[in-house]
Amino acid sequence: MIDLWYSLPATAQDLALLALLILPGVLTGATVLHRYHPWPLVRALIWRFRAVSAIFILLIAVSVAMGIGLTAQERGLRRATAQAADKFDLIVAAPGSEMAVLMATVFLQPTDLPLLDGGAYAAIAGDNRVDLAAPIAIGDSFGGAPIIGTTADLVHHLSDGRVTGQIWRSADQAVIGADVPLQIGSKIHPAHGTGEAADPDAHSGHGDPLIVSGRMAPTGTPWDRAILVPIETVWGIHGLANGHAPRAADQIGPPFDAAYFPGTPAVIVRTRDLWVNYALRSAYTNGNQMAFFPGAVLARLYAVMGDVRQAMSLMALLTQALVAASVLSALVILTRLFRRQLALLRAIGAPGRFVMSVVWSFAATLAATGAVLGLVLGYGAAGLLSALVSERTGMTVSAVPGWAEIHLIAGFVSVTSVLALGPALAVLRQSPAANLRG
Amino acid sequence: MTLPLHVTDLMVRSPRGAPLLVLPHLRLGAGQSLGIRGPSGAGKTTLLHALAGLADHVSGQVRWGETNLVAPSMAQRAAFRARHIGLIFQDFLLFDELGPLANAAIAALYAPKNQRDRLRSAAEQRLQGLGINSETRTVASFSGGERQRVAVARALAHDPGILLADEPTASLDREAADRLAQDLATLSREGGKTLIVVSHDAVLLDRMDRVLTLRDGGPA
Repeated sequence: MIDLWYSLPATAQDLALLALLILPGVLTGATVLHRYHPWPLVRALIWRFRAVSAIFILLIAVSVAMGIGLTAQERGLRRATAQAADKFDLIVAAPGSEMAVLMATVFLQPTDLPLLDGGAYAAIAGDNRVDLAAPIAIGDSFGGAPIIGTTADLVHHLSDGRVTGQIWRSADQAVIGADVPLQIGSKIHPAHGTGEAADPDAHSGHGDPLIVSGRMAPTGTPWDRAILVPIETVWGIHGLANGHAPRAADQIGPPFDAAYFPGTPAVIVRTRDLWVNYALRSAYTNGNQMAFFPGAVLARLYAVMGDVRQAMSLMALLTQALVAASVLSALVILTRLFRRQLALLRAIGAPGRFVMSVVWSFAATLAATGAVLGLVLGYGAAGLLSALVSERTGMTVSAVPGWAEIHLIAGFVSVTSVLALGPALAVLRQSPAANLRG
Repeated sequence: MTLPLHVTDLMVRSPRGAPLLVLPHLRLGAGQSLGIRGPSGAGKTTLLHALAGLADHVSGQVRWGETNLVAPSMAQRAAFRARHIGLIFQDFLLFDELGPLANAAIAALYAPKNQRDRLRSAAEQRLQGLGINSETRTVASFSGGERQRVAVARALAHDPGILLADEPTASLDREAADRLAQDLATLSREGGKTLIVVSHDAVLLDRMDRVLTLRDGGPA
């Protein structure tokens, strides 16, 4: 049975789970409503008590929206961070915090990192298993956009070769990320540092401005907000050697001369075959350097976040259960409002199950309407949050509808439908004679 | 099918056990009409509920034809009412959000499928007979007289043999009350229905074959 389950495609599993979740509600409805048609009365009651009904629906909607918003947002964030790290198979850096290197390289957060020297870089770049070994130089910015010194190969790799204009051919050219508010041909003067601490005059004595020569296609990562320049340029404006011997002083890009290599906080490594990464990780993890998979660091982070997510999901579920319980308790009180109508039905000979079906349909309609409205509100809220997070991080975070939320809704409606039998049964315990007297 | 009534040793108690109504004996022939009068608190509505099988804590016998309504389960009593009894209330108890036909044919919502059309057309005919336009969207704008006529159509839609009415004219103006009194009397005499009416309305009570006066929870 378990084998059969795992042999099913993911969509089939999701659909099957949805069917399983909704089944108790559907069976309850089918049993209660069989051969009856209470809907005109349900509509009449909802309309008569429209203000109270609207409050109930909103209560349910907000609780569902909170649950959905949180889970959808968390998933969107996880996807976005995974996408941001997608182009970074292996990173080699000086020993320290993998997370700090990850934040500096993948997410371009300003971080002070120790440097790898030219020998270390040369060993990686010279490894015939390595396709791409891109050093980076960080710490400068322009107009809030971080300036990253690197090689043309990394630009090509990050953008999959989709660059409008051209990648730099000289040290005074730059390529901008898709979201940088500059045009090809714009001139920039790098400021030392980033954010509010950036000093626009620190590098003013270092020659001509840089000219934007190309723009990368959108990648959905923080690199969309970066300005990429030849690493020689960054080294140069900091008064360092530019990675090449004096006889090749005008050279842009690898190979670099280890003797003139000022150091790099990280080397972004790409190999042709995925399995080679494991060999490289072992080879380049030693006392002087560390090699790690950004994906693995994120996975560890997700594992921690996963616990938080489970706690959040549990809280969301509990909140919804509490709201459902409150709504159903309130429904018992609400049925007191239309007790005379229900007593009338019983007086004129309506079967008990029909009277139950009126109350049950009323409750189920409120729950289902609230849940659907909650779904819409939840995605609206998650969309807004995503836009905010995207704005702040540069990652493309999108909270797209997922099966998890649909399952949550189905479970909520189903459980509420079953629980709604409570108020429906409670109505039958009331004396119609007493209720007819008003 | 109209049914005779035979009540013996009827006692209705309050939930705490205090006697609310004691009626040792009452007989009413099939198709006859009975008015019940008495001061407030005399037990008129309690008796009507007991006769309809609606009252709680009842002992004795309320026999409609061969059926003793005191003995069966609540569901069986409801089924008996659905088949044999039409009920009319002082304040009509209509669904204001529904039209006259939907109100009068409300039993079609739970009746077996093969009876629904018959119920609807019977309700429509009753409404026409009572001068109510069944096309109206809701009964919310109806006068008291019109509402009570819709309630009468509802009580008659399943063609019951017994009609029980609790102060049916109390919320109506004199003209509407007289018209309803006439309608009910005609239903009993010409329609052959056993009619029991709780009322303070002398005009209505005058039209009944017999009148029972209650005082302090028993026959005066």
